[in-house]
Amino acid sequence: MGVVYRARDLLHEQYADPDPYLAVKMLSEAFDESADASALLYSEFALMRRLHHPNILRPYTFEVDAAQGRAFITMELMRGLTLDQLLCERPLGLPWPELKAIAVPLLDALAYAHSRGVLHGDMKPSNIMLSEEGLRLFDFGLGLAEEGPTQHLPNLNRERLNAWTPGYAAPELLEGGPLSANADVYGVACVLYELASGKHPFRRLPATQARDARLERGLKAPRNLPRRCWPALRMGLAFEPRQRRISAAQLRDALGDVSPWW
Amino acid sequence: MWAVADGMGGHSGGDIASQLIVANLTELPFHQDLDQRSKAVRQCLRWTNRRLSQELTVTDDHPGITGSTVVALLLEGNRGVCIWAGDSRCYLWRGRRLYQLTKDHSLQQQLMDTQQISRDEAGAHPAAKALTRAVGAAPELTLGLLALDVHPGDTFLLCSDGLYQGLGAQALGNALGLASPCKVLEDLFDVVLRGPARDNLTAVVIRA
Repeated sequence: MGVVYRARDLLHEQYADPDPYLAVKMLSEAFDESADASALLYSEFALMRRLHHPNILRPYTFEVDAAQGRAFITMELMRGLTLDQLLCERPLGLPWPELKAIAVPLLDALAYAHSRGVLHGDMKPSNIMLSEEGLRLFDFGLGLAEEGPTQHLPNLNRERLNAWTPGYAAPELLEGGPLSANADVYGVACVLYELASGKHPFRRLPATQARDARLERGLKAPRNLPRRCWPALRMGLAFEPRQRRISAAQLRDALGDVSPWW
Repeated sequence: MWAVADGMGGHSGGDIASQLIVANLTELPFHQDLDQRSKAVRQCLRWTNRRLSQELTVTDDHPGITGSTVVALLLEGNRGVCIWAGDSRCYLWRGRRLYQLTKDHSLQQQLMDTQQISRDEAGAHPAAKALTRAVGAAPELTLGLLALDVHPGDTFLLCSDGLYQGLGAQALGNALGLASPCKVLEDLFDVVLRGPARDNLTAVVIRA
């Protein structure tokens, strides 16, 4: 839906900035005809602007190219490896110390966003990068604010345009339910399981199909995950939202040795 | 490195898939060692496959089915590596003979291999042109790989099916024997575009 370019800020370059590069995000051409496309992009910018966390990508500005009538966001340019790239390079998963070094900042970023009333809406490996300056969670394009001043901004209307990533969307989202912090937890739990084992927890199936095939019965603790962490991660993978009784902060604490979660 | 990627027809987003492949290959760091470069290209294509088959955000209107062929040629000194998926091809013109280095990942080729039937017989199958492999078409991607010695004057042609379908081996050979790679391309495109040219055409000519 969005397209991101690497760009050079010519003004910064004029002042001899040694690194004048930044990222420019705009909606893809398919949305050119959509009257509220700019408003959606602004809503994404406004959500990100509320979040001040070292592991969440920083937006710079929201602008409209007057000549083209196209809105765009400028952002910090990240250089590094997205988690889907990492998974291709490490098909057997990561050993626990490496996994923990990703899981804790990732869950901390998500828990922080949730504490600010911001939901991500599209947790998946390609929206998380291990950059030169640490982990970054990005792309709040399907996100929304549950509370606070940005909650009344135009958000993606899921009744009009239901968007998801099949392997990581919670079943209730696939069935048209509203986005919730709980749904983000399902997505991040799938990512963490995959990082630990190299395999998607439910054979890459959409959650509704996995649930109907009762795949949770065959779910096994990933070998690289300490046994004490498994109950928490498993709860995050529950298909039934009411059974998914764990927050991103609790999952972070369970994986990060901060406090016993069970 | 040279590459051609041809978005799958009949699927939405084939153009995005082919552009993503080329963009990701362009971003690869340069490795002096050919084996390392070949490994990096295969890794990059597997990652792009994952991006297209598992990581795309989809909507009701855009179910995210997308894919693209790819054929890439890497040359270093007197060695070369060809990597491909789908029915885009790499030809070699050497000593006035034409060699097809790639083997199509198509139903037609599969029928020829498994049922020992001729190209024409297999081509009569209603889905003969269906691809059996492509970047983004399935969660796992198995790439074709061929390593070869390169001779001075070897001429390589990377092309989409739109080009070779409109040409016989004779026409390909006639063009590839021309003096400069630019002339080869001009000639190939002229011949195809004078015919029905039902598909789009992409080609690269490399002379060692």
